[in-house]
Amino acid sequence: MKQLSIMVDLDRCIGCKTCIVACRNHHGLVNHETAMPEGMSHYLRVEGELTGTFPKLAEDHWVVMCQQCKKPPCIKACAAGAISKDAQTGIVRIDREKCTGAGTCIEKCPYGVIQFNAEGRFAHKCELCYDRVVHGQEPVCVEVCLADALRFGERELLLMQAEAAGKKLLKKRSAQSILYVKRAD
Amino acid sequence: MSESKWIPTVCYQCKAECAILARVEDGVVREVKGNPRARGKMCVKGMAGITTLYSQERLKHPMKRVGERGEGKFVRIGWDEAMNIMETKLRELRKRGEGHKFTYSMFPHSTSDPKWRFVNAMGGFITTGLPHCDSAKIMAHLHTFGCFPNHHIAPMYYTVPKGGVMILSGRHPFGCLDDACVPRDILDAKERGAKLVVIDPIFRTEAGKADWWIPIKPGGDAALFLGMCNHLLTKGLHDKAFCDKWVRPGDMDGLMAFIKDKTPAAISRICDVPARDIVKLAEMCAAAPSVCVDAFKSIMYGNAMDWGHAWSIFLVITGNLDNPGGQPMPEIAPMAPVAPVPPPPNLKELGYHRTGPNRSRFDHYTFFLQPTWYAAQAVREGTLKVFFASECNPALSEMGSGEWREAMTLKGRNGNYALELFVLTEIMPSETMKWADLVLPDQTNFERWELLYMPWWYNFGHTAAVCQPVVKPVGESRHANRVMIDLGKRMFPEYFAFKDDVEYYDIELSGIGMSMRKMLDGGAIWSPGTVGFRKYEDAGRFNTPSGRIELEWKMYGDIGQQWPSPELPLEFRRDADKYPFILVNFRTIFLNNTGAWSQNNAQLRDPVSGIDANPVLLNPVDAARLGIADGDMVTVASATGSVRLPAALTERIKPGCAGLIHGFGQTMGKVASRGAWAGDNELIADAGSHLDEQDLRGGEAHVSTRVKITK
Repeated sequence: MKQLSIMVDLDRCIGCKTCIVACRNHHGLVNHETAMPEGMSHYLRVEGELTGTFPKLAEDHWVVMCQQCKKPPCIKACAAGAISKDAQTGIVRIDREKCTGAGTCIEKCPYGVIQFNAEGRFAHKCELCYDRVVHGQEPVCVEVCLADALRFGERELLLMQAEAAGKKLLKKRSAQSILYVKRAD
Repeated sequence: MSESKWIPTVCYQCKAECAILARVEDGVVREVKGNPRARGKMCVKGMAGITTLYSQERLKHPMKRVGERGEGKFVRIGWDEAMNIMETKLRELRKRGEGHKFTYSMFPHSTSDPKWRFVNAMGGFITTGLPHCDSAKIMAHLHTFGCFPNHHIAPMYYTVPKGGVMILSGRHPFGCLDDACVPRDILDAKERGAKLVVIDPIFRTEAGKADWWIPIKPGGDAALFLGMCNHLLTKGLHDKAFCDKWVRPGDMDGLMAFIKDKTPAAISRICDVPARDIVKLAEMCAAAPSVCVDAFKSIMYGNAMDWGHAWSIFLVITGNLDNPGGQPMPEIAPMAPVAPVPPPPNLKELGYHRTGPNRSRFDHYTFFLQPTWYAAQAVREGTLKVFFASECNPALSEMGSGEWREAMTLKGRNGNYALELFVLTEIMPSETMKWADLVLPDQTNFERWELLYMPWWYNFGHTAAVCQPVVKPVGESRHANRVMIDLGKRMFPEYFAFKDDVEYYDIELSGIGMSMRKMLDGGAIWSPGTVGFRKYEDAGRFNTPSGRIELEWKMYGDIGQQWPSPELPLEFRRDADKYPFILVNFRTIFLNNTGAWSQNNAQLRDPVSGIDANPVLLNPVDAARLGIADGDMVTVASATGSVRLPAALTERIKPGCAGLIHGFGQTMGKVASRGAWAGDNELIADAGSHLDEQDLRGGEAHVSTRVKITK
C-alpha cells in the first residue's frame, strides 16, 4: 500500500509554531473574531526536550500531527464506521457525514491529536491536507515551515532522502507513518 | 462563485515587515504566507495577523477620555471632533512658540514617513526605539568603516560559505525580528558546513542548533571580542594584508598599544568565558573563510558603544567587511523628495528632550535622531506638552514604567495635566490607552497603504516594499498616516499639497524610476539589484572622512573614549551584593515585544501556538541556595521597582542571571490581560534619571539592571 508521509527533521525544527497557525488558517479552525487562548482546535502541536545540565545542554523540537497509523486504533474505536485509511494515499480520514460525535476515537488515539468540534459535534484532525495533496500540492505545514524542517512525499522515498542526507531515523518516534530524523552523529 | 486570490503585500506583526501574500476570498483574508518573489517566509506572528485583523476587540471608532488619566474610561466621538481637538491644541502650541514641545513616538516605515513629515512641519520631535535599540551598532559601524546597518540588516547568511563562522552574540534570529527567511538561511549555511557559535547567557533555540554555545556573563561581549583581538594581533593571526591596505595609517599601531593588556586571561575574568575558549574562538575565526557577527540584546546594555566598537575592530582585523559571509555594507538608494520638504528641527539649537540642563554635555552626540528619550523626564521638565504615539506602547516599553505613569498624571498648580494632550492611535486595546486623551482606531497592514523604504535597504535585500489594502477597513478605523496627512492639509497645506498617501509614495518612487503601479506589478517589492561584495575595492575607499577604516575614534579623544572599554556595563559593576542577579530580559518569536496587537492576539497568547506565561527563569543551583522551588511565587526587586512572579527553574540559564520575557504586563484587552504577569520595565530604571558616557556618544542603552530574588 502507498503511504504518503511527512518527514520531520529535528536538526532543523526550531519549535516556532508557524505551522500550527498556518494550518489553522488554511483549514478555518479559528473564529478570529471571538478566539481566546486555550480554546482553539489544532491539528499540530510542537514538542521539545531539553537534556543535560548547565552548561552541557542539548535541545530538540519536533511537530506532532496525526501519525497516519499503520493500524489506526481510531478506526477500530469508531462504531459509526466514519474513519478509514485511504488505500491510495494511506491517509486516515474521518467522514464528517458519518461521524456521530461519540468521541471514542479521541479517547483511543495514542497520540492525542484528534480534535472535537463541539458546535458541529464531529471529530476532525490532520489528513495531510488531503484536498491539496491529491492536486499535487504539499500540505500547508510543509509549504510554510519557517526552517524547512518538514518534507512531504512517499514514505519510502522520504526514507531514501534521509539516508542520502546522512540522517538517522528515530525509530521509536517514527513507529507509524510520520518520520522523525536527525543527523547521525 | 466565490473569488479567491493571493495578493502581494507586507506583514506588520513586527517591524521586520516581511513581504507576504494574502489570500482573500470574497473580501475576507483567509490565509497568508511569505512572498516567494521576496525571500518566501513568514513567521508565526505574521500567520496570526488575521486574528488581529478580525478580533472583536479591534478599536473601531475614535474615543475621548472621560474621568482621569489612568482610569481608562472613554466615550465614542466622531472623526471631526477628534481632528478638531488635535488641530486646536497644536495650533495653540505653535502660537506659544512651543512647536518643539510636540513629540510623536512612532516607528517610521520610511525615512520620509508621512507622520514624520508632519512632525517636521510642526517643528516637533520624533521619538523612536531606534536610538535605544540600534544606535550603538549604527554609530560604531559608521565611525569605523562608514556603513549604515540596522538590526534589519543581518549578515547575509545565504552567502556564508562552507567553513564560515556565524556568531550570534546576544541575538535571537530564530525569533524573526529580521526577515522570516533568516532561520532557514542559517540552517542552510550550517548544512553546507558553516559553523554556528551562540554567545548568550540563556540556552535558546539557536543554542540548540549551534556547534558551540558560550554562556557568557551578560554585558561581557566587548571584553570577549577584545580578548580575541588581543590573541589575533599578538600572534599575527589577523588579516594583515587587508589591514595594511585599508586601515588609516597609524591606527594599527594605536590598536596594538591599546590591546596589549587585553589578554584572554585578563579578559576572562570580566566576561566569565575561559581564556582557552577565547583563544579557541579567535583561532577558529582566523582560520575561517568568513566570519559574521550579529548582536541585538547585547547592544542594548550600558556599554553598548564599547561593544559596538570592539565588534567593529574585530570585523576589520579579520577582514570580514562586505565579503561573502561577512558584514554586509549596504549601498544607498535615495528616492525623490516631495517638495517642498519641511526642515527637521535643529536639535543642537533646541536641545534634546532628554538633555535638559545637561545640554552642553551632548556636544559629542552624533546620532541622527535625538538620544533615547524619556517622556517622564520631558514632562517633568516642561519640554513635552503634546504627545502623539502610533504603533508603540510606551506605558510598557518605556524603561521605568512607574515613573512614566506618574508623569502622565502629573498636574500643574492650575490643576491641569502637565502633558496637555496625549493622542494614541491603536489597533487593539493597549496599556498606553489608559493614559491617552484621544484614542484613534488605526488600521492593520491588511487595510492600509504604506511605502516601506529605507535608503540603505529596507529589509534584507529589498529596498522598498508596498503594503496595500487587501480588504475593506474595519469600523471607522483610519491609518495613522492618513490622519496625519489630513491634519497636515489643515495646518500646513504647503507641505501637504499632494492628493493622498498613494500620490505621495508615487512621487517618492519616481526618484528610482518606479511608481506604485510598477511596484505592485513587480510583486510589491523593489531592489536595486545584487547586493555586491567588496564594493570598497571598486570605490578605492571606505565611506569615512579619511576614506580608510578608522579604528581609533579620535572624536572622543578629549573624553578618553577613543578605544573601547572591556568593562561590563556600569550598572552590572555596582550593588552586586545588594542585587546579586543580573536581569536578562529577552524576546520570543511569539510576541512583538509590548505591541498591543500581538499581546492581544489569541493565537499568539495560546500555549499551543504561542506563549502564555512569563515566569522568572532561575538556574536550579541559585534556586536551591535561596530555597526556591519550581512554581514558587517570588519577589523580583531592583533598586527602582519590584514585581511578584512565579519562578521557573531551568538549566537553560546561567547561574547568577534571572530571565524575563520582555513585553508582558498589559491589563487592557481580554487576551493580553490573562494571567498576573508583569512587565520587565517595572524593574528597569527610568534612564532619564541617569546619564553616562555612552549616551553622550550616541550609544545610549540602559536595560542593564541588577535584581534580588526573595520568596
